[in-house]
Amino acid sequence: MIVAQRKPFAEIAAAVAGHRRVLVAGCGTCVAVCLTGGEKEAGILAAQLDIAAQLKEREQAFGVACVERQCDREFLDELAAQVAEHDAVLSLACGAGIQFLAERYPDTPVLAGVNTTFIGINDEVGVWGERCRSCRDCVLTVTGGVCPIALCPKGMLNGPCGGAEDGKCETDRERDCAWTLIYQRLENTGRLANLEPIITARNHQASLPGRQVHPAYERRYSAHE
Amino acid sequence: MSKFSQALAAKDFVLTVELDPPRGPELGPLTELAKELAGKVDAVVISDNREAHARLSPLMAGQALVQHAGAEVVMTLTCRDRNRLALTSDLLAAAAAGVGNLMLVSGDFVSLGDQPGAKPVYDLDSVQLLQLAAELGQGRDLAGGLEGPAIFFLGASLAPEARPLGPQLIKLKKKLAAGAGFLITKPLRGLEGLKEFASVAGELPVKLIAGLEVAAGAEPAEALALAKEIKAAGLAAGVHLAWPGEPQRLPELVGQL
Repeated sequence: MIVAQRKPFAEIAAAVAGHRRVLVAGCGTCVAVCLTGGEKEAGILAAQLDIAAQLKEREQAFGVACVERQCDREFLDELAAQVAEHDAVLSLACGAGIQFLAERYPDTPVLAGVNTTFIGINDEVGVWGERCRSCRDCVLTVTGGVCPIALCPKGMLNGPCGGAEDGKCETDRERDCAWTLIYQRLENTGRLANLEPIITARNHQASLPGRQVHPAYERRYSAHE
Repeated sequence: MSKFSQALAAKDFVLTVELDPPRGPELGPLTELAKELAGKVDAVVISDNREAHARLSPLMAGQALVQHAGAEVVMTLTCRDRNRLALTSDLLAAAAAGVGNLMLVSGDFVSLGDQPGAKPVYDLDSVQLLQLAAELGQGRDLAGGLEGPAIFFLGASLAPEARPLGPQLIKLKKKLAAGAGFLITKPLRGLEGLKEFASVAGELPVKLIAGLEVAAGAEPAEALALAKEIKAAGLAAGVHLAWPGEPQRLPELVGQL
């Protein structure tokens, strides 16, 4: 899932300062699961902003809404009436949700309440870890299910750098060296031969904005007849 | 064939030193120091933004040492600061500048330096950079034909003290396959790691030079003792000395070997 972290309160307060009626819009999927931007967090943030506004004797009102997913048009449509009643929307969705909300309601300023951090997993209660950089050229079959792009700071594709020590990374001696993990996983499963061929320079065209159409829908979105 | 590759092939023991380009635009002191070292060592290795601190380009420093110090230069190039286009362009420039030897490494991560917010590049890794340099020797870059070849003697780094050794050996094999013609180790802490590495790796197809560094504020006695032991016991084909804190004392240190 996509993991996000709420922005510092002072940054949010400064962003909403110029708007009288602000709708705090949560998202009920990824950011709700990582306890950052769901319905509950939207309610708490609105209450905090309300108190801060009162302390500063600012005339501001904060509404609360939450939709299933801000990255789906049909869910965003549900917000139409509430958006119309506010001067701005503070979205607690990931970067994709914030943008889609802004695209759906282009006449209303949409503000970001969270920093999207990564695509990751729920490691333990309250702990999330990055696992994927959505690079569009997955090497996990070869690398034993451990991603060198996401887990090696240098994204090394052909083995560890010289900074690895006792299976830990040069950037942080608490951080596991991804290449040590890859090696151990492949050794355990008898697949070390996977690492013999040199992986040549990658195709970084993945840095162009992505768009994909499901094969079943190709005809619908192909050139108009 | 570079002078350094000839020395490495002919001699029982070679000596190289590492010099950092200045953190300013004045190349005079570096050139003077390299002049002093040129007759005493087999090559001067120019570092490339060592430990992720910005310095004058190793390309310009390398050119100055070739032209004005008569030094045999090994230019370090890291994957950290340049994408494949910039690497190609700097490699071609190095050939034009008369730099015949390269040390191609991934490079310390930016967070270890003084500008930790810099964007780390790593478009290629060290194996892929070796492949690129080998291609240039054939008159091609990663996309295809060039107007002429840029021929280098290619070096790679090795971390014999890193554990586990398995992943390091896989990387080493790839570096050799990609065209590495010599190896310089990361600064060694002792000799046990190197000996253990040698017993596991067996005989290497290229020469291995043991890296030693005099730490900031330390006296060189320890590094000197290690260097002498490496030479006497034939543990490596040579020694590579770095003294980042007091490079001006390198000639004196080299004189004792």
